[in-house]
Amino acid sequence: MTDVTLLKPPPVGLAMRTLLRADATVLLRNRQALLLSIVLPVAMLFITGAGSGRRQVLDPGYLIGLAITYGLMASGLFGYPMAVARDRESGVFQRMRVTPVPMWTVSVSRIVVQLVLSLIMSLVVLGLGGVRHHLTFGLSNWLLVLVISLLGAAVFLAIGQAIVGLTTTSGQVNAFSRVLFALLLVVGLVGSSGLLGTTFKTIAGWTPVGGLSNLFSAATGSVAWGSDQVIGLVASVGYAVVFGFIGVQWFRWTVR
Amino acid sequence: MADAAGAPILEVDGLVVRYGSYTAVDGLSLSVGRGEIFGLLGPNGAGKTSTLSAIEGLLNPAAGAVKVVGHVATSEPLAVRALIGVQLQASSFQAELTLTEILRLYSGLYGLTLSTNELSQRLRRAGLADEAGKRYKQTSGGQQQRFSLLVAMLHDPPLLLLDEPTSGLDPQARRQLWSQIERARGEGGSILLTTHSMEEASAVCDRVAIIDHGTLVALGTPAELVDQHRTDPRVLRAAHGEVTLEDVFIGLTGDEIRD
Repeated sequence: MTDVTLLKPPPVGLAMRTLLRADATVLLRNRQALLLSIVLPVAMLFITGAGSGRRQVLDPGYLIGLAITYGLMASGLFGYPMAVARDRESGVFQRMRVTPVPMWTVSVSRIVVQLVLSLIMSLVVLGLGGVRHHLTFGLSNWLLVLVISLLGAAVFLAIGQAIVGLTTTSGQVNAFSRVLFALLLVVGLVGSSGLLGTTFKTIAGWTPVGGLSNLFSAATGSVAWGSDQVIGLVASVGYAVVFGFIGVQWFRWTVR
Repeated sequence: MADAAGAPILEVDGLVVRYGSYTAVDGLSLSVGRGEIFGLLGPNGAGKTSTLSAIEGLLNPAAGAVKVVGHVATSEPLAVRALIGVQLQASSFQAELTLTEILRLYSGLYGLTLSTNELSQRLRRAGLADEAGKRYKQTSGGQQQRFSLLVAMLHDPPLLLLDEPTSGLDPQARRQLWSQIERARGEGGSILLTTHSMEEASAVCDRVAIIDHGTLVALGTPAELVDQHRTDPRVLRAAHGEVTLEDVFIGLTGDEIRD
């Protein structure tokens, strides 16, 4: 038996490194999460850009931003909360709760891994989008897209955290996320396009998808920075804070 | 029972756990000494899991105190969890990780930096060398229980908390698990376990506590409990021939089914 004076909680750095390694491995082995987070946004980029070369309905910068937003939304509304709900149900968290590490490190590690995946997805989509639409982006465009991707990832992870905080089973999370995903996508996409008029476009600008798409449009240099982007920024920060608070406040590590 | 230095490894003193108006544990006191295997017995809903949760520092008792090697569970939960190894009945590990990867993860969470070679040695000692690259769900029930115990013992804690460790195991797997537990005890570790098998409790526990409705109804060695309650009419009604620990248990806690 180890001398009891040597048995102490581990340094936070060691615990975080270990958790990050494990969470990254779990994510890399989760094909569904990778498909939703990277492959589908890239596919969406090529599908929505099918009019390229002829007359395009939507601006290329907007389409790239939309594909990135879609990837962030898929990761935040499906990948993250589903993994958390599943681990909560199966007792993974119950086991981790009896280790000498604070549980916030478990959450932070998972969120960091999701953020890194979101940034990689954003870089891939931006790079391929540039090729697809024959656009060249400067360093400032790349940096702005990364910053907005982080903000967008925070928005959707916060919403995902709220979903998993307010539900108890992975089935409920799945159902809730599907409905919300479709709703946000349709409202953001149709509203922001202006097809339903200016009032609906203004409302859509306040939604997570609409607000972020407007921010990405400016970040890629397709439109100038203006009031739509200010609204997008304010709305995104607001969503991240409010849903993050709900998600933390109501979250339970066990459902038993 | 105290250790060689006179201090118990675990002290539970006047523990009260409430969930709203329901009292799950009502003034429970017990202690576990060094190298002791202590059985916590009780029907479903008797307060065993709440007692274990309080020891693990996962809930705040309404009253009383829990100390592990002198550390108070409520005020130093992380320090207490560093001193205990826990095998839970209903818990699992990440489905995407192999046994070696899970072991590496938990090594880090207990502050250990074990090499791949050291991790392999641990798995080999638990008879899981061939399963090192398998995922947790790909292993049998017995292997899962042994692995779960291995994770609980990774940091050689002075106190092991085992929640029905042999539940659902075949006799061979149970025998292997007990040799793992005996090895931990042989190295100076103390064990607090819950079990529904009175036969097992009689065979392996140095002392047992029978609790019901959150209160302690009997405490002593299995032989002492049988001797003390041999003439109790409730126990005699439950007995079919020679009085056993199970008869004492049924006699003291009743024979109605608890859910």
